[in-house]
Amino acid sequence: MKNRHKPKVAFFSFTCCEGCQLQVLSCEDELPDVLSLVDIVNFREAIDEKRDDYDIAFIEGSISRQHEINEIKKIREKAKVVVALGACSATGGLNCLKNRFPMEEVQRVVYGDKAKKYKHLDTIPARPIDAVIPVDYYIHGCPITKSEFLYVLKSLLLGKKPEIPNYPVCVDCKMEGNICVFEKGMTCVGPVTRAGCSAICVTYGCICWGCRGLIDNPNLEAHEETLKRYGLTTEGVLRSFDLYGGWRSR
Amino acid sequence: MEYRFLPKKGIAPFVTGLLKDFKVYGPVEKDGFPMYGEITSPKDIHLSHAPTHLSPKQFLFPPKETILRFKNGAKPALEPVIEAHNQALFGIHSCDIHAIKLLDRVFSYGPRDVNYLKRRDKTVIIGIDCVPDKYCFCKSVNTMTVDSGFDLFLHDVGSGFVVEVGTQTGKNLLYKNAKTKKATMKEIKKIKEIRDKKAEMFVTKLNAEASTLPLIYSGSYNSPVWEKIGKICYGCGSCNNVCPTCYCFDVRDEIKTNLTEGERFRVWDACTLEDFAKVAGGHNFRKTRAERLRHRFNRKFQYLADKFGGLFCVGCGRCIRTCLVNINIAEVTNELIEEANKDRS
Ligand code: SF4
Ligand code: SF4
Ligand code: SF4
Ligand code: SF4
Ligand code: SF4
Repeated sequence: MKNRHKPKVAFFSFTCCEGCQLQVLSCEDELPDVLSLVDIVNFREAIDEKRDDYDIAFIEGSISRQHEINEIKKIREKAKVVVALGACSATGGLNCLKNRFPMEEVQRVVYGDKAKKYKHLDTIPARPIDAVIPVDYYIHGCPITKSEFLYVLKSLLLGKKPEIPNYPVCVDCKMEGNICVFEKGMTCVGPVTRAGCSAICVTYGCICWGCRGLIDNPNLEAHEETLKRYGLTTEGVLRSFDLYGGWRSR
Repeated sequence: MEYRFLPKKGIAPFVTGLLKDFKVYGPVEKDGFPMYGEITSPKDIHLSHAPTHLSPKQFLFPPKETILRFKNGAKPALEPVIEAHNQALFGIHSCDIHAIKLLDRVFSYGPRDVNYLKRRDKTVIIGIDCVPDKYCFCKSVNTMTVDSGFDLFLHDVGSGFVVEVGTQTGKNLLYKNAKTKKATMKEIKKIKEIRDKKAEMFVTKLNAEASTLPLIYSGSYNSPVWEKIGKICYGCGSCNNVCPTCYCFDVRDEIKTNLTEGERFRVWDACTLEDFAKVAGGHNFRKTRAERLRHRFNRKFQYLADKFGGLFCVGCGRCIRTCLVNINIAEVTNELIEEANKDRS
């Protein structure tokens, strides 16, 4: 193992709360092992060093300003492998909620009347990174789970394709032994949402909001019917789908 | 067959006695709904006699279980893992006892599944009479009663329980942990009265003899019903996961961050999921939801019945309750029965 070429890994952050990077940093038990396997050359949350010779780029955050487009394109040119880290990056995430409003209004509400004068506040509709560059792998969730991050990293180091679930959260939910929220007079978007989170929100008494994005072939028409049958209005149905699915439903 | 009488207040000491030798799983209430869960004191037991949302198969065939530990590197090593402990499944309904008998056959067929069978060996089963809800249709598939596959079976006859002794193990447990007396003829007759009443309670029914269902299914391959239900199905696997006789699993490896040690484990898989029948190279031989449902239903009523003898749907109704788009295996079967009747006339 010793003489092995250690892959260089970089972390980048665009529009987001940086919570997914924090999840990475909270892998305390595993970090020593991870650091013996890879060199981290760029990680604003954790190290001062900055180098541009990386093999794997983990990118969190969505693209929501013009100049971020150029920045991320440069990253893509340098990295051999690009991994979207978290919902904002993988599907656009919550940021896409702003896309419902005209961009000028968004800019004014957030930064005030003078915003137009500053070029770096050039807001554009928020989008997932694969709307701008090709992405090799996705780590879903808002935030990501530590175990999935480690799993993807380990798979890449072993030269294996990471297997990310393509089945709905209902599978995880049943394996956890939950009572379905629909039985309890609530609704959720678990039947069309990608599993892999152990249905943690339902397990802890909440509903699934859909943060891991849609499965490859979701039956959205069926779920719209279900939500209506359980009392949601058309508006309510759209809201359920849009919380984390704003970019897709544009 | 031996019948003993156990007064109602005898249940608590009986369970306390069981707890000394076994992990006990039984009916509890979760968020107000009937479920099976671990019992740590007789107070946890919720004897509502209503069907539970998940089946007791989870205690014999857990959703996720480690089957192997491995080590790579200079000195590779493999160590099989079999996790099994003494357990008592308390308050199991007759449909689920039938289901466990089917699983016993499946997991002993061909290469014996040591993980399941070891666990099964260490399991005692204590059945109980139940009250059907609107989804139950055990009567239509002949699983409303059961005469083997349990160690003890409790019949609530109002004044107490008539305990039917199924095995010597059951008898020993009963004699050790409870004060019972020989049940009177009157008390034993009560079992049949209750059974006759139960038989009248079913809302969900199949409109053909259970023995004719494999034949009906064999002629149903091109029925329009598959497209109809395929259109509204999510492919969510819930029907498989709640089903007491669905036993498919996937095997995966998980390696530690040192990249040398790891575990192989198995997890429930489900034939209604999109990637279930995907093979190397990406080809999927059951691409559509309609094809996958047709497969699942045929497994229950035809394929496995041919292979193992006995329908693999025990009529527990769980897949009907769980399905958010109201795909109802009993209604679908009745549609197929009707189509078959039309074809014949
Ligand atoms: S609570 Fe949501 S995710 Fe869980 S089974 Fe029900 S619909 Fe599926
Ligand atoms: S249950 Fe739903 S909202 Fe919660 S983590 Fe999982 S996918 Fe996200
Ligand atoms: S299907 Fe029959 S045996 Fe099973 S819970 Fe319902 S009534 Fe009881
Ligand atoms: S039949 Fe119902 S429970 Fe089964 S996969 Fe389809 S939608 Fe899910
Ligand atoms: S197919 Fe449905 S009704 Fe039949 S045993 Fe399975 S879950 Fe119960």
